[in-house]
Amino acid sequence: MAYIEFKDICKSYDGQNQILKNIHLDIEEGELVTLLGPSGCGKSTLLRSLAGLEQIDSGRIILDGEDIADVPVKKRGIGMVFQQYSLFQNMNVEDNIAFGLKIAKMDKNQMKEKVQRAIEMVDLIGKEKSYPSELSGGQQQRVAIARAIVMEPKVLLLDEPLSAIDAKLRRELQEKIKRVQKELKITTIFVTHDQDEAMIMSDKIHLMKNGIIEQSGNPVELYTHPVSKFAAEFIGHYNILDNQQLKTLLPKHNFNNHYYAIRPETILLQTEPIQDSNMYVFEAVVNHYISRGNVLRYTLSCHDVIIKSEALFRSFTLFDEGQKVYVGIEPHNILEIRD
Amino acid sequence: MKLKTHLWDGLILFIIAAFLIVPLALTFLYSVFTAWMDILPTGFTLQFYTQIFTDGAFINSLLRSLVISFVPVCICSFAILLVLYVMTLYMPKLEKYVEILCNIPYAIQGVILAVGIISLYSGKPGFLSNRLFLLVGAYCIIILPYTFRGLKNTIGALNVKCVIEAAQVLGCSQLHAFFTIIIPQMKNGIISTMMLAFTMLFADFVVVNMIAGSAFRTAGIYLYQTMSKSGQLSSAIIVILFITTFIISTLTLMIQNKAVVKRGKN
Repeated sequence: MAYIEFKDICKSYDGQNQILKNIHLDIEEGELVTLLGPSGCGKSTLLRSLAGLEQIDSGRIILDGEDIADVPVKKRGIGMVFQQYSLFQNMNVEDNIAFGLKIAKMDKNQMKEKVQRAIEMVDLIGKEKSYPSELSGGQQQRVAIARAIVMEPKVLLLDEPLSAIDAKLRRELQEKIKRVQKELKITTIFVTHDQDEAMIMSDKIHLMKNGIIEQSGNPVELYTHPVSKFAAEFIGHYNILDNQQLKTLLPKHNFNNHYYAIRPETILLQTEPIQDSNMYVFEAVVNHYISRGNVLRYTLSCHDVIIKSEALFRSFTLFDEGQKVYVGIEPHNILEIRD
Repeated sequence: MKLKTHLWDGLILFIIAAFLIVPLALTFLYSVFTAWMDILPTGFTLQFYTQIFTDGAFINSLLRSLVISFVPVCICSFAILLVLYVMTLYMPKLEKYVEILCNIPYAIQGVILAVGIISLYSGKPGFLSNRLFLLVGAYCIIILPYTFRGLKNTIGALNVKCVIEAAQVLGCSQLHAFFTIIIPQMKNGIISTMMLAFTMLFADFVVVNMIAGSAFRTAGIYLYQTMSKSGQLSSAIIVILFITTFIISTLTLMIQNKAVVKRGKN
């Protein structure tokens, strides 16, 4: 029996727009799980259903063996961090963090100790008396995290907490959240639309599309073995080809599945003919390339079929636009996917 | 070109300031001189001020004005805060209807309102026909649009739903969160709105005279009764009423600024 179980969850707005369609999901204790998907796929709604901030139409939510579908929000024992920080502007950092403990009527000394520990954990020492308006976005989000973890919740929910923060600070906070989660061994559900963030943060990713779980797995599984066109496009920058396109590139081989996915970094490019008999080989022309830091992304064409290839940025592997190249793909890197 | 624009800006500001200040300054001058027959007034005196402050009736009327203006402002503000709470959290679709309802008093003149209330409630049994009760009710109607607009704009600037959800997750009830988190955040807006409504009622003469009658002497009624006796004396009353409003406004601003400074220091 899993620590959190979503059983047959359905949710619609105004009885028409169905957001969640018979969701089944199990989350183990102590895991950091990410709900990944584009805007409107239902990931935040599922998270808010667990918090009790959205009422589900049908189904059961089991937390630690107890059905919590009818338990009020304030009694669910869940910590939540919101995208907009949602700090209490009339209270300083210390009071924000202590708010939940005060509501729970905790002993003052114990409360002080807990608040101090939470402040230390999120590196906000010296900011105890500051008001939210005096803090940066990253600091405010750290206060929100401290405010949630100080309650020692059964589950910590993070609803796109880093989407309003700049890239550098986001990386720091990703590491901090992961560190705090491991330290407290707290079951955490993280919602994001950023696949890189999901890869970095998660023990397990549940990819969502139009109110259903499209694919679940650990980050490596999800990245290397997408099951559908959507997963391949969302998780990586896969080349998605139908069997006709693939036959155009490799006429000697048979491809019976409708769609195939090829990761750009598994495509080998050479100016000399490729001699490896274990590879599918064809010729193509470099249309253009762009540099993404340490990675070069080539766009190639072969009989009107466009292929993207990625390679580490080394001076000796540079190809010019219009140059003819030999392309090699290992057969096991051509993945069969569904529509 | 820029200098010319600045000159125009300065001139416009000067004209507006003069338009507002000159009548008040002349009223003050008139209240501290015994005669004003030539270009300049003659016979400096503070006797009119002494006379006013030694008259217990004026102090009583001033206090009466303060109370009768303050009570409806509190009642109306509290009621609208509750309406905004329900509207924001539970029934956002009601907003347009509440707005229409709250804007109706804009179209009702004080005289019409007073006549309407008297003809509807006079002779009714119990507290309904009590003139003071009617006056408080009428005042609540008069300030309703201003109070609603002010408080709605203030609450609109806050992310109420999300903040209350955050408090709920921490174990707090919605109503408790509204009063301990949202209202303190609205403090400046609430004070400004109440101040605006208060000054409107403090200056009222028509409604109080029609509903409560001249026996209920507020500062406005006292001023009206004094006008027929002495021009200087009524000028002195006007100056005192202005100073009273000015002191209340300044104190309000000080309270608002104190909170900002306190935050800045931390």
